[in-house]
Amino acid sequence: MLELFIGLLFFMVPAVVFGMIFGRTIEKRHLRRLDEHDSKYRGFLVTQVKSFPDAVPGNQPPTLICSEVVIASDYLKNFFASWRNFFGGEVRSYSRMTERAKREVVARLVTEAEALGYNAICNVRIETAEIGNRRQKGAQAMSSCIGYATAYHCSANKG
Amino acid sequence: MIVTNTETISGYTIRQTLGIVQGNTVRAKHAGRDIAASFKNLIGGELKGYTELLTESRREAMQRMLAQAQQLGANAVVNVRFSTSSITAGASELYVYGTAVIVSQQG
Repeated sequence: MLELFIGLLFFMVPAVVFGMIFGRTIEKRHLRRLDEHDSKYRGFLVTQVKSFPDAVPGNQPPTLICSEVVIASDYLKNFFASWRNFFGGEVRSYSRMTERAKREVVARLVTEAEALGYNAICNVRIETAEIGNRRQKGAQAMSSCIGYATAYHCSANKG
Repeated sequence: MIVTNTETISGYTIRQTLGIVQGNTVRAKHAGRDIAASFKNLIGGELKGYTELLTESRREAMQRMLAQAQQLGANAVVNVRFSTSSITAGASELYVYGTAVIVSQQG
């Protein structure tokens, strides 16, 4: 029993500290990158409607674009989550993680559409993906999504 | 082949609807990726191995769907949807389906 406790202590404490140092840095950097991306593509029309707002005939037909992203948790987040699991309430560390995944997916769609020469995307759909079985014991917490949208040419200049 | 996830395609008219086409794939991640992911879990951040896995699955499923559409003689697939499910630990399904149509350019 004592050995188990010591083993747990020796693993969990460094893991949580690791999460505190690296996990937070990576998260902050990622959020900053997403903010930069958002301000860079402010003029890019992203909608979730099925029609094509302000569409104009372009030199290429509308096309489907997809992106996917998997964001890992860290042990600090897991620690907060298990804490929350006891008292109940919102698990903010995980909400932030899933938010990052969703924003990253849309950011990648925009980047890809732009690279292909389009200036708008519509009908954005975000689907949560399952990798393996998360109900499995000891499964890692992670947030994985698939995003897809239709890229087209639009006339409106939002910016 | 024009592929969109909208019901119509701007600038094109749907002449004929041919029916549903689908593609799916079940992929397993290999142990190496799991190990790499468990290390990544220490520090957080993106799990590139798993992202790649999803990309590969999506490409494969799309290819199968497009092959079916081609067989039907379609020149476009509209209203494409993706769905995923996990089958057992370590294997997940990616399913993509859409409606095969024949379109022609307006004007």
